[in-house]
Amino acid sequence: MDIQVNERKPGVFVISLGGDLDMSSSPQVRNILLPIFDKSVSHMIVDLGDVPYIDSSGIATFVEALQLSRKGNIRFSLAGACRRVESIFDLACLKNIFEMAPDSNQLIEGEQGR
Amino acid sequence: MSLVPVILDVPADPAAMFIVRAVVGNISARIGFGAEDTDKLVLAVDEACTNVIRHAYANSADGRIAVTFSLGGDCFEIAIRDFGAGADPATFKGRDLDEIRPGGLGIHFIKSVFDKMEYDAPPGGGMLLRLVKHMPGEL
Repeated sequence: MDIQVNERKPGVFVISLGGDLDMSSSPQVRNILLPIFDKSVSHMIVDLGDVPYIDSSGIATFVEALQLSRKGNIRFSLAGACRRVESIFDLACLKNIFEMAPDSNQLIEGEQGR
Repeated sequence: MSLVPVILDVPADPAAMFIVRAVVGNISARIGFGAEDTDKLVLAVDEACTNVIRHAYANSADGRIAVTFSLGGDCFEIAIRDFGAGADPATFKGRDLDEIRPGGLGIHFIKSVFDKMEYDAPPGGGMLLRLVKHMPGEL
């Protein structure tokens, strides 16, 4: 899986993923995503624009990230999910638990940074 | 439409699950499921296979998973056979969806998508999971 981490504004991190997010790639994403919460971060955005598929292990990674974000009072958002990925969150009854935006740029533009 | 049973034999390796997903997606679409149902079938079979990897083979990629696809009458059946440790199906429980925590979603996905789900302990060890989905427009 392709994973890119960019601090687009001070404290605003965008993690762009590319490829299927499944049992084989989720541990890699988890190992990169979760340590970012130890940095000085105010908003973490996961860009799913290039993720055509997600399974329960991928969703579990984001649930874990959401829990950490709540603990640290950090904003956590998912952006750019395609219809197929969104429908899997829906099937898990988790669509309304996450902040989901159509586009990561939209979220960044609205951010003042730290 | 009928489908002579097709057997897909793959290693119990997460990296091989894309093959299962591709085959489920192609067969489901070809026999008449719409895009949304096809996506759900792909997800549910993927989850069933990853459960096998986790629980029957304890994440060891040495085992095999045989997935058999058949279509008879109004039912699409997918049978997932492993040759692992075996387990008590009564212990396979999904989590309460009101609970927001990682894990426990796989069984929920499988039960939500398929009309019938049953386990069997076949001779020779391991488990056989039969998943049945009614064809679109059928009851």
